[in-house]
Order: sequence, then structure tokens, then C-alpha cells
Amino acid sequence: MALEDPFSILEKYLSAEEYVVVGREFTRVDALDKALGRALFTEDYFIRYLQGNALFIKQVLSPHPHALIKAIHVDEAMGVAGVKAVVTHRDIPGVNQVGYALPDQPLLAERKVRYVGEVVALVAAESWEKAVEASQLVKVDYEPLPYVLDPLEAMSRTDILVHDEAGSNIAFKTRVRKGDVEKGFAEADVVVENEYRTHHQDHVYLETEAALAIPDSEGRITIIGAAQHPHLARDIAARVLGVPAGRVKVVVPYLGGGFGGKDDEGPLTISKAALVAYLTGRPAFIVYSREESIRIHPKREATIIRYKSGARRDGKLTAIDVTIIHDTGAYANRAPFILWRATMHASGPYEVPNARVDGYAVYTNKVYQGSFRGFGNPSIQFAVERQMDQLAEKLGLDPVEFRLMNILRPGSRTLTNQELDHSVGVGEALKKVAERSNWISKRREFDAFNKAEKRFKKGIGVGVAWHGISTSRGVPDWSNAVLKVEKDGSVVVFTGIVEMGQGSPTSSHVQIVSEILGVPPEMVRVVFGTSDAPDTGATHASRGTGIGGIGVEVAAGKIRERLARLAGDLLGVEPDKLVFREGRVYPRDNPERYIRWVDLVREAYARGVELSATGYFFLPKGKFDDTTGQGFAYPAFSYIVVVSEVEVDTETGVVRVTRVWPALASGRIISPLQVEGQVEGAVAQGLGYTLFEKLVFDERGGIVNADLTDYVIPTALDMPVVEKPIYVEDVYKYGALGAKGVGEMALIPLPASIANAVSHALGVNVTRLPLTPEYILQLEGVLRR
Amino acid sequence: MRISFKLNGRLVEADVEPNELLINVLREKFGLTSVKYGCGIGECGACTVLVDGKPVLSCLTLAVDVNGREVTTVEGLAREGGLTPIQRALMEEGAIQCGYCTPGFVMVGEYLYRKGRKYSEEEIRSLIRGNLCRCTGYVNIVKAFKKALG
Repeated sequence: MALEDPFSILEKYLSAEEYVVVGREFTRVDALDKALGRALFTEDYFIRYLQGNALFIKQVLSPHPHALIKAIHVDEAMGVAGVKAVVTHRDIPGVNQVGYALPDQPLLAERKVRYVGEVVALVAAESWEKAVEASQLVKVDYEPLPYVLDPLEAMSRTDILVHDEAGSNIAFKTRVRKGDVEKGFAEADVVVENEYRTHHQDHVYLETEAALAIPDSEGRITIIGAAQHPHLARDIAARVLGVPAGRVKVVVPYLGGGFGGKDDEGPLTISKAALVAYLTGRPAFIVYSREESIRIHPKREATIIRYKSGARRDGKLTAIDVTIIHDTGAYANRAPFILWRATMHASGPYEVPNARVDGYAVYTNKVYQGSFRGFGNPSIQFAVERQMDQLAEKLGLDPVEFRLMNILRPGSRTLTNQELDHSVGVGEALKKVAERSNWISKRREFDAFNKAEKRFKKGIGVGVAWHGISTSRGVPDWSNAVLKVEKDGSVVVFTGIVEMGQGSPTSSHVQIVSEILGVPPEMVRVVFGTSDAPDTGATHASRGTGIGGIGVEVAAGKIRERLARLAGDLLGVEPDKLVFREGRVYPRDNPERYIRWVDLVREAYARGVELSATGYFFLPKGKFDDTTGQGFAYPAFSYIVVVSEVEVDTETGVVRVTRVWPALASGRIISPLQVEGQVEGAVAQGLGYTLFEKLVFDERGGIVNADLTDYVIPTALDMPVVEKPIYVEDVYKYGALGAKGVGEMALIPLPASIANAVSHALGVNVTRLPLTPEYILQLEGVLRR
Repeated sequence: MRISFKLNGRLVEADVEPNELLINVLREKFGLTSVKYGCGIGECGACTVLVDGKPVLSCLTLAVDVNGREVTTVEGLAREGGLTPIQRALMEEGAIQCGYCTPGFVMVGEYLYRKGRKYSEEEIRSLIRGNLCRCTGYVNIVKAFKKALG
């Protein structure tokens, strides 16, 4: 069975003389239904199939940032005609605990509320109107408590505790200790020290959170809902209901965007619908209004980053000393993982011999911190890359040249002292994009322009980033898929990866199967987003293709081995001399002597060759020491460089990003069109984050701009020219066909590259985001802070 | 209130409340799920339909206001299963990711296409500024519009 060993399969397809489907033009299989408006999203299933039958769920939210719940009165609400249930923490049959990293979070508030917008009760009624009416009649007796909104204040106080049992508002700490930092700074010829601040961002997936739960006769429950990991959603819902996981099934249909937000909120949305359906025996439907979505679901964290770094005159970094503070909000959610990621990426993709990094996730009485494209990395890379520009300036070096002197390369050791043995294409990406963007001449050209021009100033900046693939440290991670070939030769693949716009199950997975089995894409169907597939892990961390696709590759590879042996027998040829292509199998040296795919499959069925396979692959990892933050951090890193060009109106303070050059070193590019789409989408989302998207909190920690009039995201008019990405295909040996990951990448260095460009244009030191006109005018000294 | 109007080429009637929004009538009473809710306040354009041939935000339109008029949704565009030039261009240019905003863009594109004139890139960007997309960065949407309308 060595031929079916996943390691040999991955090795076999890692490189090929020629790929026929992979890396080529490919129209994703869901494009037609989406163009015709036929693709069904969660709410559409409700409208099409369960309207009139399902209960509507309306959430009752806390108006207090911090208060004890003395009593919840539901009688009046229950008295409204058509109301079938008012569900509070008391009604939860299982465990009222949904924290992912720490057990600190109830599904429905219990004993106290910790932020304005926390969900206290669910009202279920026959109509939307009655549910809304009754929700206003749920009376909660609150005893307001003093609250804390500022993370620095929260860190230093113990008289106000967001979580009493924690004894401190510091939810989680991380650290890295490498080399001798004091010695490193003593060796430095230049030192730069700054405090950086970044802010909360909302995902604004166009489709808000929704779930539809349907109970069935055998005490089972099926939920169609918006989430990024059906198995996690199933497990959380089962825990809340107090039933075995096997009784709950989660199906994630097309998602109207996810970006991490539905990874956190999805299981909670699904649990709420499941809870009502379980308690009432009726189908139940929940959908968040845009306002509810913004108030309730977790956000990209606000950060305070203190960063000191030093370098020698010869251009080598000597030491970094970094403190990272995350405003975690009311619940830890994924804060520890986000903080770990920020901590282990705190050096940027550079060799640094001496490092001290301390991270703090701090509870406050605000909406809580969550997963969002980049996962703690955009803010830390913003700090790293601003430092790099300032060190370069002090050393009299060009920013690109200085970075290249320190850049990670094969054989380098990272911040955590992990040796990188292969798949490190960042230096090449940086060189290529500097060339393509005419970096050196543009810097000079803009310097001259800015000397002559008064009102408008131009700048060009670079941002380089790395992003660890898979879960951090030794945290187990795997891929899986089930693949079967039907009697007519069509292929069905089952995966837990979801389709949220990125196109993994609707393009790259199809391409992988089509490439390995040599069947046309029309014969491949990928059933995605279902907990009935083997657990494939979440569709987050840029892993849908790079890791999610491994299972697909391994399963397809196993089937190919079996069919190659059979075809070899039939044709009298060595199995490894066979080509599988365009529905035919033939010897490499004699394409005319072929057997048709469909005939080969029929033969396999006749001769007892099994044509179903699982593609399980467990990612090999190493050891990590949490006390020193040293060791194996990630199996591989994806890299990206972005060069941005800006124009600043010094009179109005308005920053316009005019052009962006991306260069990816993220392994094999399986679907170029989808990769471009991910880069361009991340540029837009990153642009909004960098220039104007910011949640504003009132004095009680409530969100002021909880709608799309006041929380503004980029339109087609805001977009710069996005150049075609440069690809350095630095394949990773355990990635799907060598792919690493793309989804998050362009967002990570974009804030840094724009901030560096603005700093270049104005000759100022940008240390905060977003770059609003007010902030720009403050930097110019026109406005006072 | 009883209203009657032409919906995707067919005369229809509906009983609606005076405060009922067109988006809800189209989705819930007629099952036209291409019409999407994104913000409820006319900022995102996902609910765009044509009323008497002009793009209208159905989340800001009262159902009673379409009495006696003609409403077209994406479902009413596919002629014998065929694609409109905008739909075809959106597919070809890779302008469709999650697909949630797509129907709104298709309707705005259809309105522009029916005008029978050409548009510059600058005009296109300005004309689609009322439609939000969170996935594509608009790059390929603009390309698709240029292809179909340029």
C-alpha cells in the first residue's frame, strides 16, 4: 500500500513537466448560478422551502456595557399572540459555554452582561412582526456595574473585572525570548522606537449572519447556516443542546462573504437556531439585520504596539523589543490564537538575532475581538514595516535594499528560531516587484515632484509580510476529503471546506481532481460545507486550497494509483508510464493506445477495484516552548510584497491610493483568476481599513456607526489600479500541489505599504491607522490632536 | 391593499400592507430570491431591481408604489436560459466571487446596456458606486462592464 501513502502522493504531484488544468484559465463552476441569481444562500432556503412553517427568532440585546442580571421577565412577551418561546440561559439543555479558546463565554448571557449588544434572550414567534414586538416586552432587571473600555486602563485595574473569576483583565499573555536583547541594542548603531495604534474593523460581508434549523423525527436536527467550519458549528450546537454530535448536522450553503467573521459568529448563529428548534420542535430561522450584525459579531481587534528596533551600520538588524496589546473586548473568543499569531510574526519576514516580544490580550467592556482576514498580522506588520523604513532612513539606505539585507531565505532562522529549509521566495518577490514598479526611479521622481509642488504630494511605499500556514505551534491540523468515482465515471468529492467567495471547492478542488484523474471538470462535483464530510478543518487562515486541497489531492491520488494498476494490466504497460488526460488513459509514448476513462471505471467496478477513498493527511509539526516562544511555529510561511503609490492633498488631508503592485510567494498557483480575485479583494478591504473604515464607540462602549451609512466601505471609485500579481511559485512540499495560501495575504502588508507611502510623500511619521483627513492634517501640524 | 403590476413580463396581483417594502414582497410573496438584503437602508445596492426600466433600490421602495408599473428582477432577464451580455462578461472576467452582490450589479448593468450607448471606465466606476462588493475589489467587475458596455 506504499503507493497510496499520502507522503508519496504529495511528492509525486508536487512538480510536473506540465500541468494541464492547474495554473490555467478556469471558470469556476458556481459562476453561472451566481450570474443568474439562482445560487441559494441561507435565507433563500427559508424563503423557498420553509416560509410559513418556521419560527422567526429575534434577539434581545443588552443595553449595558457591564451589569448584573437580577431577573429576566418573559411573561408579557410570551403573552403576545404567535409567540412560541422566549429562550434564556435557563432553558439551555446542554452547556451554556461557547468560548473557543477559553471557557469564558455563554451563548446567552448568564449572571451578567459584558458589552452593549450582548445577546440575553431569543424570542421565537410565528411572524417577524410578532417576534420583534415580543422582544421589546422581555424585561430584564439589570444592576449596572462600573465598566472599563480602554485596554491600558483595564490592564492596570483589578477593581473592575470584566471576568471576576479571572482575577485580572489580562485574558492571555504570550512571549518570545530570543538571544540577548540588551546586547543586541548595545551593538546597534541606530535605534528606532515608536508606539503604534490600530483600530476595530467590521467585516461587512454583504450577507449578514443567518441560520435555519430543522428538527427531524429521530431527535436529530439539521441546520443550514452561515459558518466557516461546519464541524465546529455542529460540535458547539451539540454541546449547547446536550446531545451527541452525531445528532446534529450542519450544512453551509453559499456564503455571501466570510472573512473570518462567520468563523466566529457562525457556530453561535447556528446554535441559536438549533436551540429554538430543539425546544419548540419547529423549524426556526434567525437572520441578523445589518445593525445587529455590526453590534453583535466580533471585530478585527484594536491594538497598541510599542516597538523598539536596532540595526548596525552594515544594515543588519540586531534586536527588537516589542509589546503588543490587543483590545480583546468582552470575551476571549479566538484572542489567544490571534495574539499568538501577532507575537510570532512580530519580527516581520526578517532575520533578527535578539528579540523580546510580550503580548497581552486584554478584556474590556466592548464588542469582542475576533477572526478577520490577517488574524492579528496586519497590525503587527504595519508596526514592523514602519520601523524598517525608519531604520533604513537613519542608515541612509534605500528601504528595499535594507529589507533585502535582512530578508528570510532558505536556511534562515525565524523569530522563534525555526529553521526554514525550503519554500522561502520572499526575497525574489521583493526584488521582482521593486523592478516592476520602477521603485528606485519612482522614489527619486516623487522626491523631486514634492519639492516643486505645494498642495499635492506623491509617495511610494513598500510593505513585506509573512503569514504562517496552518495552526500555530504543535496545534494539530489536518486535511481530509472523501472521493468516489460513480459507475458512469463522474467523480464526487466531499469536503468540509466552505464556499464563501474564494472558490476553493468550486475551482481549485475541481482542478486538482481533473488534473490527477484526467477527467473533464464537468464530470467533477465537489460537495462542500457539510458536517457529513470528514472534518476538514475550518475555511480560514488562507487554508481552503493550500490545506483543504491536500485531502482532495491525496484521495484523487489513491484512486489514480488503483486505476493505473488496472489500466496497466489491461494495456500491458507499467502503471507509472500511463498518462491520465481528457477522459483517456494511455501510455506516455503511445497516446493512440488508450482506454477511455469511462470504460476503465466500468472495468474497475466489474473486477472489484474500490473506487472510493479518503484523503486524510496530518501535517507534520515540531516542538514549541511556550515559556520562551521558541521552536516550531508553522509548517511553512506564505509571503507577499505590496508596493503602493499615493497622492496626498495637503489642504484637505485626503489620501488617494493610485496604484498597487502585489507580488506573492505563496507556492503553487492553482487558479490564477481566483488568486487575482483574492488579491484584489484583499486590497479593497485593506484599503478601507487603512483609510477610513473604523468602528466608533460611545462613552458606554456602544457602537455609534452600526449601519452602512455611517460605517463606510470602499466603492469602485476608491480603488487604485491593481497591477497583475507577480508569482514566485516557491512550492511547499506538503501543500496541495505545493500551494501555501493566498486569501488573507494582500491585506497584511497593505496598511504598512500605504502608511510608508504617505510617510514618504509628507516626510512624516505615520504611527496610527486609519489615515483619515483629520489624522493627516494632524501629522502636517495643521490640526492639533 | 391589493396591487397589480407587471413582474418579469407577467401581470401579477398581491395583497400588501401600506408599509410593506418591495424587497420583501418580491422575495417572500413571489420567491424571487435573486433580490438580496445587504443593509436595508439603500447603501449597498444588492436589492436593485428595475421599475419601468430604471434601477431602483427595492429596500427603499414601498410595494404600493409599483402598482400599475413594471418590475424586472434578474429572474426576468434570462431569456430561454441565455445570459445577458453583462452576466456573460461578469462570468468571463472572473467578477463573481461570493455572488451575493452580483444580482444588483447585473440589474444596473442591464439598465446601462439597454441605453444602447458606450461608457468610459470613469463613467462605469461612477455609475456602479451605489453597488457595494466586499470580495472582488471591483477590478474584474469594472473589466466586465467595460467589456459589455465599452
